[in-house]
Amino acid sequence: MSNKSSIEILTDETEQVNPTILLAEEFMRRDMADVLSTEDIERTEEIIYLGHREIDAIKKQLAAFDRTPASASSDIPTGF
Amino acid sequence: MNVSISTSPGFGGDLLRSLEYLQFKTRSHNAAAASDYIGSTLAEQQKYVLYREMFPMEWLRSQASFYRRGHFRSYSERSNELFKLVDERCFPLLEQYYDDPEADLDNFAIAPMNADLCCCGEVDHEYLRISYAIGLIFIYPAEAWAFLDDRFGLDESEFPSINERMHESVGRIEDSIYNDLICLVDHSTGNPWLDSTYCHGCDWYKWSKETIEELTVEFRSANMFFERIAGLDSLIEANPRQILTDLISFWNTGEPLNPDIASEDKENERQ
Repeated sequence: MSNKSSIEILTDETEQVNPTILLAEEFMRRDMADVLSTEDIERTEEIIYLGHREIDAIKKQLAAFDRTPASASSDIPTGF
Repeated sequence: MNVSISTSPGFGGDLLRSLEYLQFKTRSHNAAAASDYIGSTLAEQQKYVLYREMFPMEWLRSQASFYRRGHFRSYSERSNELFKLVDERCFPLLEQYYDDPEADLDNFAIAPMNADLCCCGEVDHEYLRISYAIGLIFIYPAEAWAFLDDRFGLDESEFPSINERMHESVGRIEDSIYNDLICLVDHSTGNPWLDSTYCHGCDWYKWSKETIEELTVEFRSANMFFERIAGLDSLIEANPRQILTDLISFWNTGEPLNPDIASEDKENERQ
């Protein structure tokens, strides 16, 4: 098991901005009359797939945190 | 009382910071909203590709904008134009959606053309074409015989008994008006316009050239199917006893007693 803390594991991931956000910005800037080529459509479908995969991964990480059992802290909170 | 101010984050602090990081990722970047936006843009673009492929001249002449405008508010004016073209030139698409301007048409359903009989079993014989009403003797015999007695004075006891199941070849015989009728009543023609009903969950279709062309062909085929059945209506009106005897024979054996009638009918069809 890794000795890294959870925040270290998360920040070490080679994640970037979700590609759907970048593509959404690109789409917003383009003229709607410019019809997408077949290649563009294939690229868009791939980016939607990758974007969903990243969203699902983050949701799974959040769910895993929710399931984490409580453990005693070494620190005593102020007031106790 | 012990008072302690922690300087190191510890496990709890680490966990809270991680949760905050993840919530920032999901909330601030809002990838889900971006994905929805791309998905709807892509769906519109796929419709434009279809529009250009199927109606190239109309596409060139079109003055419709690419912004949301038109009867169906979720779609661009150009997409609304495509819906109308498909409805006018291919098959009835909008009839069932027109009352709902907010309708989601990214996938669409078709309106059943053979909806007189469904799993509800509530059939009003008076409003059925006569051939269809006769075909119901295999499904709802009591009601069908009562109707035939009332309409033509035909009594069940005067006819051969009907096997519980149709002959194994029935349903696969080509060029037979009786086969067509039984398949129509049974909703087993293989044509989506004729086999779907309002009672069962409908099939959803996507906007692709293949789908639109296939549904167009099947719609025309369904109309021709009804035209063939109409030919049987006149034969029944002329000689109900003979046709009903033939039809029962066909159900039981896969062969009509009097093949001449079927062949005469086929000849009429060809003409």
